[in-house]
Amino acid sequence: MAAPLRQKSTPVKEIIVYIILGIWALINLFPVYWMFTFSLKNNEEIFGDNVAGLPKHWLWSNYSEALKTGHMGQYFFNSIVIAVVTIAIVMIFAMMATFALTRMIWKARKTMNAFFMLGLTIPIHASIVPIFTTLSRLGMLDTYAALIIPYAAFSLAMGILICSGFMGDLPIDLDEAACIDGCGTWGIFFRIIVPLMKPAVATVSIYTFLQCWNELMFANIFCGNAHKTLPVGIRNLQGQYMTEWGPIGAALVLATFPTLLFYVFFSKKIQDSFIAGAIKG
Amino acid sequence: MTKLYSKKSTIILFILPAFILFVAILVAPIFASGYYSLFNWNGFGKKTFIGLENYRELFTSDSINFMKALGNAMLLAAFSVFIQLPISLGLALLLGRGGRKGERGFLSIYFIPVLISTVVIGQLWLKIYNPDYGVLNVALRAIGLEKWAKIWLGDEKTALGAAFVPILWQYVGYHMLLMYAGIKSVPPEYREAAMIDGAREGQVNRFIVIPMIKPIIKISTIFAVTGSLKSFDLIYVLTNGGPDHATEVPSTLMISMLFLRNRYGMGSTIAFLLIFLCFFFALLIGFAFRDKEVVA
Amino acid sequence: MRKFKLMSLLLALVMIVSSITACGKDDGKTADGKTKLTMWCIATESDSNRHAYEEAIKEYQAAHPDVEFTWEATQNEEYKTKIKAAVASNEMPDIFFTWSCAFLGDFVDAGRVYCVDEVYKKYASELPAVMMGNVTYDGKYYGVPTTMNIVGMFCNMKILAEVGYNEVPGTYDELIECCDKLVAAGYIPFGCSGKETWCVTEYLESIIEKTAGATALNQIFAGKASWDNADVSKAVGIFQEMIDKGYFDPSGIALGNDEVKANFMAGKYAFYMNGTWNCADFAKSDIADSVKVAEFPVIDSSKSKLGELIGGPSDTLAVAASSKNAEVAAEAAFELGKAICHYGYLDGNGLPAWTPNYDTSSLNALTVAVADIVAKSSQMVLFGDTAMSADRANIYLDYVSKIYSSKINGEEFVNGLVKDIK
Repeated sequence: MAAPLRQKSTPVKEIIVYIILGIWALINLFPVYWMFTFSLKNNEEIFGDNVAGLPKHWLWSNYSEALKTGHMGQYFFNSIVIAVVTIAIVMIFAMMATFALTRMIWKARKTMNAFFMLGLTIPIHASIVPIFTTLSRLGMLDTYAALIIPYAAFSLAMGILICSGFMGDLPIDLDEAACIDGCGTWGIFFRIIVPLMKPAVATVSIYTFLQCWNELMFANIFCGNAHKTLPVGIRNLQGQYMTEWGPIGAALVLATFPTLLFYVFFSKKIQDSFIAGAIKG
Repeated sequence: MTKLYSKKSTIILFILPAFILFVAILVAPIFASGYYSLFNWNGFGKKTFIGLENYRELFTSDSINFMKALGNAMLLAAFSVFIQLPISLGLALLLGRGGRKGERGFLSIYFIPVLISTVVIGQLWLKIYNPDYGVLNVALRAIGLEKWAKIWLGDEKTALGAAFVPILWQYVGYHMLLMYAGIKSVPPEYREAAMIDGAREGQVNRFIVIPMIKPIIKISTIFAVTGSLKSFDLIYVLTNGGPDHATEVPSTLMISMLFLRNRYGMGSTIAFLLIFLCFFFALLIGFAFRDKEVVA
Repeated sequence: MRKFKLMSLLLALVMIVSSITACGKDDGKTADGKTKLTMWCIATESDSNRHAYEEAIKEYQAAHPDVEFTWEATQNEEYKTKIKAAVASNEMPDIFFTWSCAFLGDFVDAGRVYCVDEVYKKYASELPAVMMGNVTYDGKYYGVPTTMNIVGMFCNMKILAEVGYNEVPGTYDELIECCDKLVAAGYIPFGCSGKETWCVTEYLESIIEKTAGATALNQIFAGKASWDNADVSKAVGIFQEMIDKGYFDPSGIALGNDEVKANFMAGKYAFYMNGTWNCADFAKSDIADSVKVAEFPVIDSSKSKLGELIGGPSDTLAVAASSKNAEVAAEAAFELGKAICHYGYLDGNGLPAWTPNYDTSSLNALTVAVADIVAKSSQMVLFGDTAMSADRANIYLDYVSKIYSSKINGEEFVNGLVKDIK
């Protein structure tokens, strides 16, 4: 890519810009550093004499503690399963709905679109009891579905909103050409539209991922031991009367670092697909 | 083609999966909340129909103090629109111009807080604010500003601000990435043309870049406002509404009504109002931006 | 034709949904005829009661091979939400952990709890009726208490020795004098979490009780007497005076109980008033050798006396009325309650509600001291937030947190409560 033409900034101005960028970067990196060091300390260091420094004794045992008593491995696995399936469902459902909402011809589609946008505004905690009742009637409490279904529903509105941006930009000529070639609606959708939606996948996935990766209340209430997710695991490490912070720190690291690593490896791809999908938002 | 795309059964098939999920999980609870808001009910005992009494009590009772919670949420919304989004935009403009070393590196780093679980962020900031050993007070003492060291989350004067900082901080990266992406997709020719005409960088940003990413700014604004009205997780972890309701937001109040105070009817009333408010603001923002888009 | 397709599609959908709904029903038996029992509790991995629950359940499972027993633990705060959501939709587990008195009372009123009168008869010799008081509603028993706890004043004798005390100050005047000396010597007498208001009540309720008397406080909590009581507002004044004189760590207001407790164990405070479930942790901590426990001294000896305590059996197991195997579940609740009590007591998590018939020589010294205090006690007042119904308890807690942050004084406290608690 040729460097875009631009005026030369004065060196002083450039330095100020880098200082600003640098400071903000430090503010964002500090938690990662803090979390890592804190996961290797004992209670006395965390609560007292060594808040931000490197640990005096590197307590790797905190990690085995977190994995063993905290079952972090299991919780991590659960979180991954739930996130992946939720993302898949949101992607498919949102693309299908968007297809009908942006390309097909029917009277109520504006109304329907507004109806889905309502979903952006609903506070997730308002629906705990109704969803609990529904899930238990369906015999789905304490299964992966107990979290996947509500998470998918709550991410759907955003999925449709993002997909609409992308799909609205695809020229309708594509569909017509495919139609003339003898494709049916499903053919057009799966063979023409879906492959072109790749950039939307990253944006929707990240949004959905954040929703299910962080959520605490539903995960706690709808699921039992076998299907609990990471945030629940972290909260559970704090008992009613008793707390050991080192292993909690280790659990925090275990809950965070895999995502960060994944992001470090794929950040370029993710950013690129964000860029591809911008403006249309 | 038109015939193919007007076929009712296909349309229904396409829309149905999303629609069912949506109605069952999101819409049904709204109606349930609306219905329960008319009752005095603890969630499992006998229901007594009381009409709009919950709404009246909500707005008039001192011990519930809903207006305070709502005011806090509105304040948070204002902060996120007028502080968080401008920071995001500023960073996005600085990076989006291109040609700076480490552009991708900065971009990646700024996104990190978004990826950290809220429970983790909450624990982190609790430590930062710890009155005795927290990084903030330790640092203030170290540079001789002993007087400024405070019990950040325990003092009613500072608790709200202290609780807002992490909320605003966490999502700067998210908005920034959205805006950065938008800026990157502004065709470079536009920028060059303006530069050749003698426009300064600030002017290019002001008159070319920002108008072009207006749709993204609109989405970010809707997010920021509805997100603020619904904010729960970090407040729950940091202060749980305290001290003495200084950091209460509608969602924390709702949870405490529903599950701590056994006032399911009242909790439903708050839920219902919250949904209404979020929807109202989403429409309002959409409307505000629609006007200006024509000009741009 | 098109309409037909549409209709059949919808029909198929309805059928799928209803078939899913139908398979949710079961008769509480596994395929091979075992009885299924589920239990919910708050003994998460890091809870000090975890070990007691694990042992109790292991024993029960070994003794009852015909029962398929599953259990799960949820973090305390979230558990309150979870159990209420379950009660609201009448989808409770067979056995559930609950706090006695008002918390359980709301569920009993709604008819969601199984009455255990019949099963209790079998265990009456081991579980004294006096321990059943907090799970008695309309003269019937609805739960099984496990351990009981009181509020204790834990003292770090090492710090007290620094200002010349070798014994815990036994009278209120001595305590005040001791605190003044501590403050003068640069020590912080008390630590109390303001973020978790129940911690403040551990102090406040003790002070009110020792000023107004246990009977008066019990009447107020039970709603039989008004909050409008001069002794209550006087007690609040005493508490706030202690705060004003710098007896309390000012940071405490922003800290959680875990942090305050860690501070005490790190030797930052001379005193820490909290539940006696802490004994096990203190006995294991670095300050184990220097911790003593006592009751808060009497403030007004014309109304109160030593032996009037705050606390009682609160941790309870109850059985859902909707349970398919309610009778088996009730028996299990008693068996488990007894065993949890046994192991919990030996671990130092509190005192037994059940009469111990086992070797207790391994008990830690603190728990023994608490047992001694309880043995001499004349009257107990249950924790206010357990004794009062949920709505009242939270209004009460609101006002208590206002006291701790010195926003209101004693008079405003009683007036506010009279106004808001109807």
